[in-house]
Amino acid sequence: MDARVEFPARPMRARAALAAMAFALALSACRAGSPAPIFPPGAQVLHLASLDDIPTLDPAAGYDVDSWMFEQMIFDTLIRYSDSGVDLVPDIAASWTASPDSTVFTFHLRRDVRFSNGRAVASADFKYAIERVLDPKTRSKGMEYYRGIAGAADFAAGRANSVAGIETPDPWTIVFRLSAPDPIFPHKLAMPFAAAVPREVVARYGEDFSRHVVGSGPFMLRQWIGGQRLVLVRNPDYFVKGVPRLDGVVEAIGVNEDLQWFRFETGAIDLSAIPPAVFPYVIKTSRLKALTMRIVTMTTRYLGMNCQMPPFTDVRVRRAMNYAIDKRKLVAVINGRGIPANGVLPPSLPGYDPDLRGYPYDPARARGLLENAGYPHGFTATVWLPADQTMMILAQSVQQDLALVGVQLKLKPVGFAPLLDAIRQPRTVPLFFSGWEADFPDPANFLDVLLSRAQWGANNDSWFYDPRFDALLAKAKPLADPARRFALYREAQRIAVADPPWVFLYFPVTWQIRQPWVHGLVLNPMRPARLDRVWLSPHPSPK
Amino acid sequence: MLAYVVRRIFFGLIVLAGASLITFTIAYVVPADPAVAVAGAKADPQTLAVIRRQLGLDQPLYIQYARYVDHALHGDLGRSYIRREAVTGLILSRFPATAILAISAIALSLLLGVAAGALAAAYRDRALDNWLLVAALTLVSTPVFWLGTLLLIGGGLYLRWFPLGGFDGPLSLVLPTLTLALGSAAYYSRILHASLGEALDQDYVRTAIGKGLSRRAAILRHAMPNAILPLVTIAGLDFAGLLSGVVLTETVFNWPGLGRLAFEAVFNLDLPLIMGTVLFSAALVVAANLLVDLLYAWLDPRIELGAGRN
Repeated sequence: MDARVEFPARPMRARAALAAMAFALALSACRAGSPAPIFPPGAQVLHLASLDDIPTLDPAAGYDVDSWMFEQMIFDTLIRYSDSGVDLVPDIAASWTASPDSTVFTFHLRRDVRFSNGRAVASADFKYAIERVLDPKTRSKGMEYYRGIAGAADFAAGRANSVAGIETPDPWTIVFRLSAPDPIFPHKLAMPFAAAVPREVVARYGEDFSRHVVGSGPFMLRQWIGGQRLVLVRNPDYFVKGVPRLDGVVEAIGVNEDLQWFRFETGAIDLSAIPPAVFPYVIKTSRLKALTMRIVTMTTRYLGMNCQMPPFTDVRVRRAMNYAIDKRKLVAVINGRGIPANGVLPPSLPGYDPDLRGYPYDPARARGLLENAGYPHGFTATVWLPADQTMMILAQSVQQDLALVGVQLKLKPVGFAPLLDAIRQPRTVPLFFSGWEADFPDPANFLDVLLSRAQWGANNDSWFYDPRFDALLAKAKPLADPARRFALYREAQRIAVADPPWVFLYFPVTWQIRQPWVHGLVLNPMRPARLDRVWLSPHPSPK
Repeated sequence: MLAYVVRRIFFGLIVLAGASLITFTIAYVVPADPAVAVAGAKADPQTLAVIRRQLGLDQPLYIQYARYVDHALHGDLGRSYIRREAVTGLILSRFPATAILAISAIALSLLLGVAAGALAAAYRDRALDNWLLVAALTLVSTPVFWLGTLLLIGGGLYLRWFPLGGFDGPLSLVLPTLTLALGSAAYYSRILHASLGEALDQDYVRTAIGKGLSRRAAILRHAMPNAILPLVTIAGLDFAGLLSGVVLTETVFNWPGLGRLAFEAVFNLDLPLIMGTVLFSAALVVAANLLVDLLYAWLDPRIELGAGRN
């Protein structure tokens, strides 16, 4: 066949294909995205941005900063933390009492609180919320916090229709009876897991409740487009008069740190994290520095050592590791956004021990300890760490420090889930980078959870065990008097520091920057900042 | 023709079954407990045991796989462990954004690539050809995340002509499209330059020019239709890749597409979402391959589909 015969037809086909493509493109481009809901002119709308999508808005399911930030805007708990601190203040509960032995807690509810669907909030809604968390079908990450309520185990196992230890004698009273003393139980009720949810709405939407949340908090969900944006609007019937001061909050989703910064510079968002690359510039620029906010969070970063794996079975080696690593240099590596750690408990935590000296940088002493332990030429070890850029930089700094005392580190970056899984297996991971963020402001949340014998195979990832340490924890746990309680925990912490299962690295400091027109924002050391009392002064719209 | 299409669809289904089996196996043999991914770092062993039972992770692997396939055949790809939403719904909600970006990027890269390739071939071994070669090599070597960031800083931050990322209207499409298209266009231009150069040396083109046809007409009407076939193959596969999502570009531009969804799924070890996105991407590649073959026959009637074995 003569190919030329066919040719004239093809440009036509090509043109047709191009035209079709152009049409499809134009059509699709016109439909790109969905317009954000229009707030009336002059409305007080706070614009935020985040990289990750919000995992969930269902308080029974969420257990991360992003989910909690929005859950605490949509839902109310019986009690909550004050805006800037970790003292418990009333939320829906007007008052509460605890029995002297910390086994019975009674809460009296306000009578003027309504869900945004109009129904009054009653004590039964709190009981339902906690039963929902305890129900295995919900797969809640919070179930462990409420297992101490009498009858919780029977309910979770299907042997009872309700939790016997939660009583609702009238719509405005709820009583929790615990199977053992737990003075910090009220803190567990301040977690979003225990927020009131309307049973009828959960029943209607089932697992999709997260997309149709109804709460009694200061804001209501208006729009949530996965990967794009989440929009909250003011709840006009919120029980605190004059709150919230904002008409809405718009969170752009999927915006990486650099893009957040660009948007902040153009005024398109009102609050932003500060990317490491621009942090020095921000600190040197007085105009920008004046807009920054910082807070020491209740978090500890550490290098865990497996106390069951040689050479870390020898306390001299573990002490040598602590002396060999320069924590000040580590903090410098992260732009000074941290405080060198002196022990397990961070400085913002009640019960913190300011007199604890920890391990200063002393490589000569580290070499001496290694020599005494039978490692005059050091040793080689593999350190597991989450595969993330900051962790790699920190690990390289630690690698350099340890090389000076003869310890050669091999870095093994892995995904977070595999890392977590591996460190929970006995005698598997010799060294690992990790950290812990407080769930509630009590030393038990660090010492009990991370270092007690009961947590082997769970959160005690360094497989640490000291019977004196465990005995002190057992003595401290039921005590309601903070002074006696904290004294025992301080003593326990001194044992853990003298026989260190970790290299105590640093306590992170969170920095944020706000636009000059944002007012009333306060950072909290343990929870995402609440936006109820934030307001905006007049400002130019972003171009 | 119909028999060919039916046969290809049949083999496509086998590929999909294989992809699902391999993904499922890889996902479940990695040393990580999905229950930990669901419950978070702080969960106690009791909570993990409850969640394993709830998710059916305590069942033998083959039962878990059989159940997955059964549900998948009914259009149910399961529920995301982390988001607790239907995977099918999540994928479908992200696909339009990806499709729009893929269509615009492939259209622009073909437009620029064909134009540059044709020009370079027409002016072979002359200054323009050399300049186009330098430009193409530069663009091919430029990392997408870097080019994207530069375009954002230039077009979004300083000039403020385009939005700083996001998916809000036609203007937001410009910078991510350019980011994806410039590199591909450069690559396409080099492929077309080579194949067009070869075609221009063929007797039928020389004959056409000898008979008095202009060089431009000889290139466009005689050489180009034959030279463009390799480009169709590559662009077809590229298009399938674009439809499966482009993680870096989507991340740089805050584009809510499939690539970021898949990345988040892998990062969170969200197995149902990993499986769903892989299967969906595999289906797109199979479909794109089939379409490319059909397009081949449409562009060049000398190609007879399914006749190879005779």
